[in-house]
Amino acid sequence: MESQINLEFEDLKGFSNAKKVKFVGDLDATNVEFVLDKICTMMNDGFVNIVADFQKLRYVNSTGLGVLLHFNKSAKEKNGSFKIANVNENVYEIIEIIGATSLLEIYDDIDEAVESLK
Amino acid sequence: MINLNIEQPREIAAGITVLTIAGELDSASIEKLHAFCDEVVNSHPPYVIAEMSGVTLFSSSALGGIMGCRKRLGEKNGDLVLAGLTLDIKTKLNLLGANKIFKMYSDIRTAINAYDWEYKGKAEAVSVSFPSELKFVPPVRQLVSRIAQQKGYSSRDSFRIETIVDEGCNNAVEHGMQGSDRNIDLSVQIDREKIEIRVVNVSNPEKVENLRDIIKGNQTPAQVAALAGKRGRGLALIKMLANNLNIDFTETGTSVHITRFRGE
Repeated sequence: MESQINLEFEDLKGFSNAKKVKFVGDLDATNVEFVLDKICTMMNDGFVNIVADFQKLRYVNSTGLGVLLHFNKSAKEKNGSFKIANVNENVYEIIEIIGATSLLEIYDDIDEAVESLK
Repeated sequence: MINLNIEQPREIAAGITVLTIAGELDSASIEKLHAFCDEVVNSHPPYVIAEMSGVTLFSSSALGGIMGCRKRLGEKNGDLVLAGLTLDIKTKLNLLGANKIFKMYSDIRTAINAYDWEYKGKAEAVSVSFPSELKFVPPVRQLVSRIAQQKGYSSRDSFRIETIVDEGCNNAVEHGMQGSDRNIDLSVQIDREKIEIRVVNVSNPEKVENLRDIIKGNQTPAQVAALAGKRGRGLALIKMLANNLNIDFTETGTSVHITRFRGE
């Protein structure tokens, strides 16, 4: 009965240490460990710049948001970055209410987020 | 030949008239329909449920006649709603655009519930009891969100309600006794103005003090975001999304009562 979350990984042309990760589904307390494991493994493998595509992320709760903040912090500690793009308005509102818009790097679209890696 | 049967209008509850119509609603039967419409408009409560499970034909001219009747009831602050239509008839009416004019219900009971909701502002209540494990929370929060949406709350509002239920239930699991033999009791009461949510768990004495400390905290959004751990933001999120939050500690459990007014 856990919420469904799928992560789809894509290389980013021209960036050897970056990946695009598409989040599909709901990110909540039932699946944060799975997401944490996948992204941390990727960072430990040297992909320290991550562009998270939230176009198909329907829902995030406070636990999910906590993990996103953790990714942001971990990436910075490894001299990388965790960038978010295509956030729907409901998810954005949760990020905003928690006060995390100033902590997370949020972009309107993927192109803008990738451009900022240069 | 007129092949239409209309039973005498009957008042089934205060303010509600039922008109049972069966047979063929076509141009030949319009006069008969008008006569009953006159009687209903002049002598019965103006919220009329037309029970039409026995209707086998519904012409566009008959639809015009029924629309006229509805208009007259509307002038008396009432309505004419359709109940029990067969799928064939309903499909045909929808093609004619009737679904934009008439409210349609599967049966009389559902139409009465809609009346209670619309006109009496009556609340509807749902209770769910589920094992104190995180994996049960997503279907529960989605259920409440769908109820809110079905009751006419906007998708934005329903999403906020989903978040409140999610955070409330997650906290109940995390700060209470866990396991398949311990239950979380969620009760929801929703009306046109607001939703009230109550979550009750079985207290875990080791965690109650921790919860009391979290409640005492009155953090700003920036402080909440800056929390060091991956958890601990749920209650703050509820506080920000809810209009009212009360937490009662008893010897057996913690009861969280949240009120949120309809946003749009």
